[in-house]
Amino acid sequence: MAVLCPMTDETLAAAAEEPRAAPGMTGTLRLYRRQDAVFRAITFLSAALVVVVLAGMIVFLAHGAIPALTAMGPSFFWTSDWDTVEDVYGALAPIAGTLITATIAMAIGIPVSFGIAMFLTEICPSVLRRPIGTAIELLAGIPSVVFGIWGLFYLTPVLQEYIQPALIDYLGPLPVIGMLFQGPPFGIGILDGGIVLAVMVLPYITSITRDVFMTVPPLLRESAYGMGCTTTEVVWKIVIPYCRVGLIGGVMLGLGRALGETMAVTFVVGNTYQISASLLAPGTTISAAIANEFNEAFEEQHLSALIALGLVLFLITFTVLALAKWMLLALDKREGR
Amino acid sequence: MAGETLTARPTVSTRPADDEAATVKVSVRDLHFYYDTFEALKNVNLDLEDRRVTAFVGPSGCGKSTLLRVFNRIYDLYPRQRAEGSVTIGGRNILDRDQDLNALRAMVGMVFQKPTPFPMTIYENIAFGIRLYHSLPKAELDDRVEHALKRAALWGEVRDKLGQSGLSLSGGQQQRLCIARTIATEPAVVLLDEPASALDPISTAKVEELISELRSDYCIAIVTHNMQQAARSSDYTAFMYLGELVEFGATEKIFTNPSDKRTADYITGRFG
Repeated sequence: MAVLCPMTDETLAAAAEEPRAAPGMTGTLRLYRRQDAVFRAITFLSAALVVVVLAGMIVFLAHGAIPALTAMGPSFFWTSDWDTVEDVYGALAPIAGTLITATIAMAIGIPVSFGIAMFLTEICPSVLRRPIGTAIELLAGIPSVVFGIWGLFYLTPVLQEYIQPALIDYLGPLPVIGMLFQGPPFGIGILDGGIVLAVMVLPYITSITRDVFMTVPPLLRESAYGMGCTTTEVVWKIVIPYCRVGLIGGVMLGLGRALGETMAVTFVVGNTYQISASLLAPGTTISAAIANEFNEAFEEQHLSALIALGLVLFLITFTVLALAKWMLLALDKREGR
Repeated sequence: MAGETLTARPTVSTRPADDEAATVKVSVRDLHFYYDTFEALKNVNLDLEDRRVTAFVGPSGCGKSTLLRVFNRIYDLYPRQRAEGSVTIGGRNILDRDQDLNALRAMVGMVFQKPTPFPMTIYENIAFGIRLYHSLPKAELDDRVEHALKRAALWGEVRDKLGQSGLSLSGGQQQRLCIARTIATEPAVVLLDEPASALDPISTAKVEELISELRSDYCIAIVTHNMQQAARSSDYTAFMYLGELVEFGATEKIFTNPSDKRTADYITGRFG
């Protein structure tokens, strides 16, 4: 555009002086019009590509999943026998594992991330702001396999020796909640996976949350303080409601990562097809199951069952996104928009 | 008194009328203000009277907004800003280190250059501030909200849509909502920092009308770039220049017979 405007002006000026220049001008304009058409076509194709890739992915998953789903029927979704010898595939264990580890990751990750972001934007002295911000960005840059090694060789022993015995002793005897903390302290297991995921989603949620908090106009913040609000009131009643779209976006990004993360979870989750009420028990997740078994899935049914797992993961992610949209609409309604 | 130059206002309040002797509400002595090392206010001394409107005029960067921001210590939100001297409100120096800032800001309300409705419904925008200080039963809270909106001349326009977002209002309505929100907590002093600078002429007129009505209840300080606005709506005018209070007196005198040449130059538009 920047090039286009002055040149057109020049051509127009020339045309005004010399009427004979008119044919040249139409030629130039035609050239520009052609350029514009090409440009539009390119952007359209880029956008169309996304839709085509997505559709292709769904077709591949659905088509690949058909053999397993027809053989197993709906019991694929609610039984937990996963026996490659007998060709019996029930996906409940990895589905439950995925949902529970992601829930643990969010339960730890969201409050901590919000806390960091609030500290950085509302309270932190400006000297500390940059180092803490950089630390968070570096954390986001660590490859997931490194988180896996850290989880297995450092976090797991700590959990096994100190944290899990304490949980069993103190929370185990409690009614209802005690169910979550039964059995021997294996170290590896659902809780371990959830904690590693929490550390991994932390930088994502934090950096988005921080950026979103920064978008609050200084005047809005000042008016809230000017009403006599405390920092807590400003954050809870003004900053968070003002930023909710961005905050939910940040949480969704973190949740997406927690649901789909493969490598680090595979290290620490235990990789057993079992369901237990206890968070300390080993389990598996959808992505861990796929990663573990793909290179030995020679049977058609086995391979198809793994693809069906992928389809389920896709559906879970899609549902989560839909829920987020619905939640935003509900919030807008409550605020009277 | 300059008060007579203003047109008659309806007296909504039960407080004493204009002609009674005004009491000093805010007393500024030897005030200096620093942004880091830059001295933005140089030895400012003045008194603001209760139930009077005091306008602060002067070219950009003269320190008038800074002075307003001292009165509720909003500058405290930022590092490396500090005030020296004394500002006495309600018999106590609010610059004291142990001054409770939340209590101060309950007593000194502020309206900003741009409307800043909170991200909640119109009703909640008003109720929010009241709830910070009182826990009232619903019916009483409703009354207080209605009263504040009536006081800000907004009730008629929003009575049917109290449940809608504050952001759904027009700019002028939003600013009146912010004024309603400020007076709902019944402060002693109301600070207006260029309240009409982002508004169209009709909305500006409404806000000015509102200011002159609120005058009967509050000590009002208004910063403005608009000379006519200062002349129309204030009892006293303070002219500031480069961080100094050049001239302070009855609005009529400042505008008709200023004693300082800089004041005369500024109000006649020769600089600024």
